[in-house]
Amino acid sequence: MKKGMSLLLLCLIIILTACSQSGGGNGATSGTSGNGGSSNAGSNKPVTLRYGIWDENQAPAMKQIAAKFNETHPNITVNVEITPFDQYFQKLETSAAGNSMPDVFWMNPANFPKFASNDQLLPLSDYIASNNIDMNNYPKPLVDFFTYQDKVYGFPKDFDTIGLWYNKQLFDEAKVPYPDGTWDWNKLLDAAKKLTDPAKGVYGIGAAVDSGQTSYYNLILQNGGYVISDDRKSMGYDKPEAAQALQFWYDLIHKYKVSPTIAQMTDTTPESLFESGKLAMYTTGSWEAVAFNNTDLIKDKVDVAPLPQMVKKATIINGLGNVAAKNGKHTAEAWEFLKFLGSKEAAEIMGSTGTVIPAFNGTQDLWVKSMPNYKLQVFIDALSYAVNYPISMDFRSIQQTDTEQLTKAFSGQIPLPDALKAMTEKDNAMLAAEKG
Amino acid sequence: MTMNRSKFQVKWFIHLLLAIGAFIMVVPFAWMILTSLKSIGEATQVPPAIFPRSYHWENYVNIFGTLPFMSFYWNTIVTTIAKTAGQLLFCSLAAYAFARIEFPGKNVLFIVLLSVLMVPQQTYQIPLYLIMVKMNWLNTLTALIVPGLTSAFGTFLLRQFFMSLPKDVEESAKIDGCNHFVIYYRILLPLAKPGLVSLAILTALWSWNDFLWPIIVNNSPDKMTLSAGLASLQGQYETDYPMLMAGSVLATAPMLILFIFLQRNFIEGIALSGTKG
Amino acid sequence: MRRGDYTWAYLMIAPTMLGTLLFHIWPVLQSVYLSFTTWNSFGNYKWSGLDNYRRMAHDAEVWSSLGNTVVFTLITVPVGLALSTIAAVLLNQKIRGIPVYRTLYFLPVITMPAAIAMVWKWLYNGDFGLLNELLGLFSSAKVQWLTNPGLALYSTAAVAVWSAIGYNMIIILSGLQGIPSHLYEAASMDGAGGMRKFFSITLPMLSPTFFFLSVISIISTLQTFELVFMMIGANSPVIGRTQTIVYDFFKYAFLMNDKGYATSIAMLLFAIILVVTVIQFRVQKKWVHYE
Repeated sequence: MKKGMSLLLLCLIIILTACSQSGGGNGATSGTSGNGGSSNAGSNKPVTLRYGIWDENQAPAMKQIAAKFNETHPNITVNVEITPFDQYFQKLETSAAGNSMPDVFWMNPANFPKFASNDQLLPLSDYIASNNIDMNNYPKPLVDFFTYQDKVYGFPKDFDTIGLWYNKQLFDEAKVPYPDGTWDWNKLLDAAKKLTDPAKGVYGIGAAVDSGQTSYYNLILQNGGYVISDDRKSMGYDKPEAAQALQFWYDLIHKYKVSPTIAQMTDTTPESLFESGKLAMYTTGSWEAVAFNNTDLIKDKVDVAPLPQMVKKATIINGLGNVAAKNGKHTAEAWEFLKFLGSKEAAEIMGSTGTVIPAFNGTQDLWVKSMPNYKLQVFIDALSYAVNYPISMDFRSIQQTDTEQLTKAFSGQIPLPDALKAMTEKDNAMLAAEKG
Repeated sequence: MTMNRSKFQVKWFIHLLLAIGAFIMVVPFAWMILTSLKSIGEATQVPPAIFPRSYHWENYVNIFGTLPFMSFYWNTIVTTIAKTAGQLLFCSLAAYAFARIEFPGKNVLFIVLLSVLMVPQQTYQIPLYLIMVKMNWLNTLTALIVPGLTSAFGTFLLRQFFMSLPKDVEESAKIDGCNHFVIYYRILLPLAKPGLVSLAILTALWSWNDFLWPIIVNNSPDKMTLSAGLASLQGQYETDYPMLMAGSVLATAPMLILFIFLQRNFIEGIALSGTKG
Repeated sequence: MRRGDYTWAYLMIAPTMLGTLLFHIWPVLQSVYLSFTTWNSFGNYKWSGLDNYRRMAHDAEVWSSLGNTVVFTLITVPVGLALSTIAAVLLNQKIRGIPVYRTLYFLPVITMPAAIAMVWKWLYNGDFGLLNELLGLFSSAKVQWLTNPGLALYSTAAVAVWSAIGYNMIIILSGLQGIPSHLYEAASMDGAGGMRKFFSITLPMLSPTFFFLSVISIISTLQTFELVFMMIGANSPVIGRTQTIVYDFFKYAFLMNDKGYATSIAMLLFAIILVVTVIQFRVQKKWVHYE
């Protein structure tokens, strides 16, 4: 029995050790939290600013901008902090609760309303007025992305549109003419049929649903539908335009078999299928240009065309902004850095390195010229028919529901109409709750 | 004669079974290393070549270029050494007191300590995370180290060890009037070496391989551990398999090498954790 | 002297007790409280009574995750223990090369789970994975190991078994070596063969070891997370068929910022572990033999 007792204790022990380290220590450390006080901009006290971003590919350019800023503001050091996109906004919310947000950070339109309405961001309108900054330097939709109740909270940083990337080598082998601005969905389907070669494991196109921005949002818009209503009260998934668009995408996999299955694209993402020459066409954003250009496998084999149209031409436009934390300890210095991030000089660094399409008017050309091997002008021309990225107060939860349901439908677990119905119901309930 | 033949057959059969098992155990490691030396094209060709045509060592070089792998090593090593040292010191101190000194509240305190082992880590993870937020410790090594400086498991393991040592080893020192710290440091610690080595190995192993806590509190690349770094590598280069495998080799190699040198201690440590009772 | 003893004792246990209090006991108590609160994204929370628990009772996702976890455990633990026992018994024979085998079987135990998940994901890959290539020698079917809804959970469980064999084997082996040889000698006198010896001596003598291993394996398997998180991933079509209860916890706690709901899921897990462990301790009297 004694043995039983000690065995019992032992079990209890290993229970934990099987899964984790045990904690302990002497937590006698004083935590400091922001007191909301701002320091005097005129002072030359050395200050370190934290700059939060999510894209590793852009880190070099961001660090370059920070170094450039330091030349004119020797007392302000900027530390670039990278958090993967999957966790970025959740971490930001949690650190907002703990008053430990970065001083300056990236914001996207989908999450902006939530942060602005919760009074987490530094309002810039007064600063902008007193510094005589002209917001007409940026495309209006991008400025609107970061405006809440007529107050500006962020400087547009860059924008992105979606294009049809294609593999020239596969097109040549199948003797199919390259896509151009005249294609519609039927043309796309014809080409995809000709390009698909099951023996080689080559498919015409990848009909993935993990990101609406690069796939079905555009299709719904091209078909004359909408993703979210203008008053942001309901989603357009229950409308025939959306149903047709998603059915077309679905048929590429199940009816025509010109796309890999969802299972295959889970094993190997469409992006890497494209990069390894298994996909002839792939719809994705301007931000991939720099990644393709750095991948020796396909650097010289791919190019880009406008998305095919249906009822009309359409592509989603999205853009990032730079914002500052309202409760930061160094709001004066944060403003100085924000101002520089919104400057032409910073935009030129982003453009000439090919990192992203800078938002500052007149600098987009630098980005186009940075990779002359691709027809990047396509992404700039798309501005004329681009539609704003759909947003609501908490769009992230809506996207999670959509991805979940569509993945089930496209992998054949539930019928597509059922998924669209479930999405509409759940999303609309969430939208109604947002208002409350 | 027949007896011998059947004995021989039995032995042969045992070897066959063991070899099949060993093959299943080793193939993933072999494939990891082989893939890490191929080009992407070679890794994804059908049918695959078992051996790379030429060795693409650049996969390893590229990793250091794209991710701060040196920082991952540094962070993992610092965290592991700090936690191991902390636990050896604090657990052995507490274990000595629980094993060798009578004091008021001893049993209650020991039961409190053990009760901690009953709860799964998810039960305290969120509040612990919130403490890290409050302290401004997110994305610092402090967040990885401080909660792991002491351990109830280690205290229990070493207490068992001290209990198994006869009481009379320290009698003469007591008569000479040595204080408890001297007895602990001069007499009991040297005798408990096997227990200390086991605890050190187990702590280092768990710390090195820990995944959930590091991905929760640290996601700035310069503060990641190897485990979290691998997860982010997978996120970034989803299908550059040679690169991913090279990362896996780099992340696991130090522990495997340590294991090869300290094999006996590893196995004893694991056996001790399971049978000391 | 006595007084001095107390001072020494309290000084010596102070760091460990302080650490336990600050980083375990206090957070656990907080968790109990938090499981009755509802959070908004910015860390403001309010008391909401039993709302989280009510929601959980009606949450099909949590129940299916619980089902997945139970199935996963029911496969992994028995299969893992059976294979480990066979390995330990074979390694307890007098043959050459034992240390080499032992080392190889032990390798996965010391390998980083994140790396294990990554390597197996690669081996399981439907298009280029080694496993399908080996199968290709016999048939032309491409098996979708990790994306076929009926298969993914079992593929994941296989990796869990593969990783745990070494650990269990070492512990069973030290149990085997602790069985006094005179028992076997006596049995041989009575003319017992190998099989009968195994069932009438080895297994009963090993029962405390098995009991210990089954308790800790069940408890750790109920907390499976890394394999699913790294091998399957959030965007997989089969995540619904493979996600475990801790995956749900992680999702609500750190991806959806629904920390109140997440703590109530953690409480559910704790309750399950407690109940299962208590039942095991009750039942052990029936089958575990202590000398």
